[in-house]
Amino acid sequence: MILEAKHINKFFLAPEKQQVLKNVSLSLNTGELVSVYGESGSGKSTLLYILSTLDIDFSGGLEIYGQNIKELSSQELPDFRNKHIGFVYQFHYLLPEFTVLQNVMLPAMKLNKKNKEEVRDDALVLLDELGVKEYAKRPSYKLSGGQQQRVAIARALINDPSLIIADEPTGNLDQKNSALIFELLSEITNYKNKTIVVATHDSKIYKNSHRTIEMIDGVIRL
Amino acid sequence: MSIQVFNRTNIFIALQYLSVRKRQSFLAMIGVLLGVTTFIVMVNFMTGVNDFLDDAVFNGSPDIIISATSEKESKNRGFVGLAGISEEKRNRIDSILKVDQNVESYAHQIASPAILISNSKQFPGSIQGVFPIQERTMVDLERRLLKGKGFQSLSKKNTILLGVSLANRLQVSTGDTLKMIVPNGNTIQLKVSGIFSFGITTIDNIRTYVSADILQDLLVQEKGITNVHVKLKNRDNVRLKIALTSAVDAIDTEDWKENNKTIVIGNKVRDILTWSVSFALLLVAGFGIYNILNITVIQKRKDIAVLKTIGYSSNDIVFIFLVQSIIIGVLGSIMGGVLGYILSYLISTTPLDTSDFIIVETYPINFKISYYILGFSFGVLTTVFAGYFPSRKASRVDPVHIIRGL
Ligand SMILES: Nc1ncnc2c1ncn2[C@@H]1O[C@H](COP(=O)(O)OP(=O)(O)OP(=O)(O)O)[C@@H](O)[C@H]1O
Ligand SMILES: [Mg+2]
Repeated sequence: MILEAKHINKFFLAPEKQQVLKNVSLSLNTGELVSVYGESGSGKSTLLYILSTLDIDFSGGLEIYGQNIKELSSQELPDFRNKHIGFVYQFHYLLPEFTVLQNVMLPAMKLNKKNKEEVRDDALVLLDELGVKEYAKRPSYKLSGGQQQRVAIARALINDPSLIIADEPTGNLDQKNSALIFELLSEITNYKNKTIVVATHDSKIYKNSHRTIEMIDGVIRL
Repeated sequence: MSIQVFNRTNIFIALQYLSVRKRQSFLAMIGVLLGVTTFIVMVNFMTGVNDFLDDAVFNGSPDIIISATSEKESKNRGFVGLAGISEEKRNRIDSILKVDQNVESYAHQIASPAILISNSKQFPGSIQGVFPIQERTMVDLERRLLKGKGFQSLSKKNTILLGVSLANRLQVSTGDTLKMIVPNGNTIQLKVSGIFSFGITTIDNIRTYVSADILQDLLVQEKGITNVHVKLKNRDNVRLKIALTSAVDAIDTEDWKENNKTIVIGNKVRDILTWSVSFALLLVAGFGIYNILNITVIQKRKDIAVLKTIGYSSNDIVFIFLVQSIIIGVLGSIMGGVLGYILSYLISTTPLDTSDFIIVETYPINFKISYYILGFSFGVLTTVFAGYFPSRKASRVDPVHIIRGL
């Protein structure tokens, strides 16, 4: 088991008090592609931010890799995220000041486990696997949406995290690109033995994932 | 903030941000440069002038001058137009000066106006009859000599030392002879044994030294003196004046501050001007950096959010932004220091049209390393301070909030 969430409750206080997650419990195993679907506003993104440790303002328990997230200090949390979690979002934001290659290298440079040449090689291999190696030297903003999303996936994979969390990764892409991204995600789960949680409205994704979780108004149905 | 944030990756990111905003970064740097340059040039120049005046005026004249006030007494003693200090009073004054902790040295003088006549010209002068051994502890004339010898030459018979302006007007040089007429009509032939310059026209125009014996003889005042000059250890402490005037009556004491009010005030004004102008400029530069970084932080909220999601901590973010302003500050300050030095050097070699007041060939400029260190520290401190608040703001960006809005 790679992730265990127990009785997670999440409230927003403004503009009015509102419970967005209601007693959510779930566990994820290694090598799973799990999709979360549900109506807009049902709380998918909110759950994913919590699972990715970006939002720690919730009640309940969350263990990733056996580590209780609430026990991590504000210094340790970013390092934990850096090492263990890759994140892909709908708008595939890349840093425009940096080249495609540099964008992919940034998390690994932060991790600082390998020297720059090794990191560069790793990044190029990933870009190659994702079919965007030819753009490596380009400024990141000079890529199409689909290409940028593939670079963002490479960035999420660079530190070889065991858990990848993607919030509507195809939400902003056309059919062809969506299909491609989905292919990539399922390949990553199968061949790289990663756990992927993906929130989506895309029926192709949730029909083809190992497990689907439905979210209705803050409550999950496994 | 831990030392961990100081790593190549964070510096690389900071440099990348700086280099894509070359123009803005450059302008911010120019701001710091101007502040530091101005500071250095002004401090060099203003303290140069202050030190020059201090040296010329205050070191050239005693810190306290004691003279007699009583007209009656001077008439009794037969001085013409000058008050003499009686022997009894002189002893009382000496005994006070001898024990005072703040007295560096003192010297007796007999002063008199006189007319100096050379082959071609004649001018009035203010003659100071000095005791060479005492006077040498008061005025460092050797350093100011242009020609001839200093006080020790007065121990020879009938010699005189002249200020350079007076010598020029009299058209005499060392070795030439002069005739001196004192108010009672007595005259004497004197040989010019030295010519000096204090750099201040008012001094160089009238000051004349002869040995006290000569003047006492001419004025028929055996052992008579008119002034006691005092040099203090701490010049700002002039309490000695009170001790003197309360112990000895009918004497007058003047200190260097009273005698040189305009110069003292001038020094203060120059100090205030230097600090306030430099401070204002650095403030403007600091505000420029603050502004640029603040705008950058607002524009770069998304980048900051992404950096946080991929594992960069708040401290990393503070560092990344702070480093940008530190780089701007350090480069601007170094360049400001260099430019400040160049400008100061140019000013120091600029020929100065000698005014009526001071005699110098070029502008007096100080080149103290401490001013460069101070200017550099000021520049860097300003930028660190200006950069800190935007950096902290950047570190507080909530990634969830930003990503939701992407
Ligand atoms: N910062 C916030 N403050 C207050 N309420 C919020 C905030 N963010 C989200 N919400 C509310 O929480 C609920 C869940 O939002 P969330 O973004 O998790 O939904 P979602 O399932 O991801 O929707 P979508 O499919 O449109 O992305 C919504 O009702 C939303 O209005
Ligand atoms: Mg959502």
